[in-house]
Amino acid sequence: MTVILGGILLAAGVMLVVLEPVFSGRGAPLYDGVDDFDKGAARRRVALTALRDLEYDRATGKLDGTDYELLKTELSREALQHLGTRGAGGGDPVVERASRELEEEIEQIRRALREGLQCGECEHLNVSGARYCGRCGEALAVHGGAS
Amino acid sequence: MTVLGEIALWIALPVALWGAIVSFAGGRTGRGDLVLSGERTVHVLTFLLVVASLGIIAAFLGNRYDYYYVANYSNRELDTYFKVAGLWAGQRGSLLFWTLLLSVFASIAVFRNRRRNREFMPYVSGTLLGLLSFLVMVLLFAEVNPFERMGFTPANGRGLNPQLQNYWMTIHPPTLYLGFTSFAVPFAFAVSALLTGRLDSRWIAVTRRWILLSWFFLTIGIIFGMRWAYEELGWGGYWFWDPVENASLLPWLTATAFLHSIQIQENRGMLKVWNMGLVVTTFLLTLFATFLTRSGLIESVHSFAQNLRIAYIFLGFMGGLAAFSILLIVHRLPSLRSENQIQSFVSRESAFLFNNLLLLGVTFAVAWGTLFPLITEGLFNQKINVGPPFYNRVNIPIGLLLLTLMGIGPVIAWRRASPRNLRRNFTLPLSAAALTLAVLLVTGVRHGVALATFAIAAFVMTIVVTEFWKGTRARARIAGEGVMRAFASLVKRNRRRWGGYVVHAGVVVVFTGLAGAAFDTAVVQELAPGEAVTIRSAFGNEYRLVYESLSHSRPRVADDARENDWRWTALMTVYRNGERVDIVRPERRFYPVMDQASTEVGIISALLEDLYVIPRDVDLDSGADRVVFEVKTLPLVPWIWSGGLLVAIGAVVGLWPPAPKRARVAHRRRAGSPLPAGAPG
Repeated sequence: MTVILGGILLAAGVMLVVLEPVFSGRGAPLYDGVDDFDKGAARRRVALTALRDLEYDRATGKLDGTDYELLKTELSREALQHLGTRGAGGGDPVVERASRELEEEIEQIRRALREGLQCGECEHLNVSGARYCGRCGEALAVHGGAS
Repeated sequence: MTVLGEIALWIALPVALWGAIVSFAGGRTGRGDLVLSGERTVHVLTFLLVVASLGIIAAFLGNRYDYYYVANYSNRELDTYFKVAGLWAGQRGSLLFWTLLLSVFASIAVFRNRRRNREFMPYVSGTLLGLLSFLVMVLLFAEVNPFERMGFTPANGRGLNPQLQNYWMTIHPPTLYLGFTSFAVPFAFAVSALLTGRLDSRWIAVTRRWILLSWFFLTIGIIFGMRWAYEELGWGGYWFWDPVENASLLPWLTATAFLHSIQIQENRGMLKVWNMGLVVTTFLLTLFATFLTRSGLIESVHSFAQNLRIAYIFLGFMGGLAAFSILLIVHRLPSLRSENQIQSFVSRESAFLFNNLLLLGVTFAVAWGTLFPLITEGLFNQKINVGPPFYNRVNIPIGLLLLTLMGIGPVIAWRRASPRNLRRNFTLPLSAAALTLAVLLVTGVRHGVALATFAIAAFVMTIVVTEFWKGTRARARIAGEGVMRAFASLVKRNRRRWGGYVVHAGVVVVFTGLAGAAFDTAVVQELAPGEAVTIRSAFGNEYRLVYESLSHSRPRVADDARENDWRWTALMTVYRNGERVDIVRPERRFYPVMDQASTEVGIISALLEDLYVIPRDVDLDSGADRVVFEVKTLPLVPWIWSGGLLVAIGAVVGLWPPAPKRARVAHRRRAGSPLPAGAPG
């Protein structure tokens, strides 16, 4: 008897929870409302991440000067395209900050490469102000780019 | 409690069907109330399945042998934790447990996406509830109801299969099932993306961490299974190419391929159809693994029950799902076109693609070998089994190629790489491989496969270590940080990438451990107490095992608690190179109720090798306590487990939520605003 009563109560409780929205007319949201912004932001993040990886690939010697320049041009163009979507969704501060951090990191790596800290011969990254590579002794192109 | 559990299972069916219907209808008509009702159904269903599962556990703990399932997988003497684990000891309980885990993951997915990815959610809930409806229907109507009662109550149950009475039994199946069931969520998102037509990379961004989570569970589930086989089956191996082992490997292979190919879609907008195909295939393979494990369709050490009916039901369901998915993909083909093309054969995407093809090659070979007995029976009315030689012949070369690619892929840049760069990046790893090869040849190693494995392992490991070193050094120079801080921020900024490298390092260690099998040594000898056996390992260690004594634990009275568990335990002292290192207690067991014998091996693990003692036979007639021992030395086996641990750590690093995101969540909670869409769900 107790079990039957328990079963009935269980079924009633389940029906109440499941059917309540239909009777009350309360609904779940069907859209995020920030979708268009998100699409643009997501693409921009992907492009920036790719750019950052490219800079790291260069800094760690996976890419030589020619390939790096070519890919940088391609990726920068893609990133710039998506930068046009910036702020379209109301400038979400969180996504903005994440993208800004990425851009700052890219700039930081580029500066290091531009200032000739990386040896064109052995890819060693030298300390700021160095004129010769600390590993192989090659003269560093201080203001002329990494290679 | 048990009756309430049964009632809960019956209520679960109409509830699940209702939820599936209203979720799809809500998505189609844009009615939020129906969508909310569907989402609530997911949580309610989880609650009902928890009640049902507790009902079965209560029946086990209460020794309710009037229940067919309990009577067949338990008895009064069984330890409590094995009684709890009885939930997944047989086919019926396993299916209930599988359904429960699936509903728990469905609940988590619905809860986490209650404010984001809303366009996907009606179809995600609908798909998951559709799957759950099917499973509940199978449980209730396909002769696998765990609540089925017999017309009488036996005095005691049949007991649990002796080979399952091992602590791995309590963790291996649940871990594997967690991997199988969690993959339903990415599948549901893929179906939802196809139904809604939102086929950009968003569904992948949403499900990326789910996929990694499934992969993590599958990986550790498989490794736990290997460990179980190693400790419990008593033959000194860990992988037998048993159909059920294979069945768990198949979704792991396709999930691994998927984890790599989604990176091509995310970075280059390519392989969209391929990725859809892989997610569907992986999910279907998890179903294949589930029904194969328990159905007895293919003979296996895991098939503890024969129920072909359920096998055919699952086959039909899988066929239906496959057809539905293919139709959806074909319907959406125009939106699934690649945005780019491979620019150069020497590029990371090329390496990833090749890796995918090889993984699919292994998948096909393993599936072919597993299904071969069924195919030959269908065609020639004769079951022909293929054994380990077939799998090894096909999979070892592919495995070595994959291992090589694991090193090549990360070093090549996206889009294209120049020969000069390749030369520069591969000089050190190739030198490490050549040096390893030379050292091994000089020390007298002549086993071709082992030589190749060790050389490739050195090649890949050098690359992984160099990658970490170069990345840390670059970061330290660029950001002006110390080495340790630079290393930490490097990993923190791209956990997926660096976690992936740790996984690669783990796989290298596992492969090295597997190659150690080429140098196993073994000796079989009958000993009387006081006598000793000597064996020399490939690493030059000499082991001397002195058989000291044999203890018996045969019960004296019929209702002894150990009535169903007779044991003969040998005590052996082990000396390595003349020095006493440990004692082992290998054991023979006999379970009279099931008329089954089993072996508990003695294992001594060192850094480089295991000593493995199997009591083959105990002479009970002469009274002289003579025992036939098989003693093995198994080089590098401990590396398999260490490598597995490293793989798991790498996966956890990849899964770990990024710190900024945690801060973002806190920030948003404070601000009371919704989470951004597109964040991993």
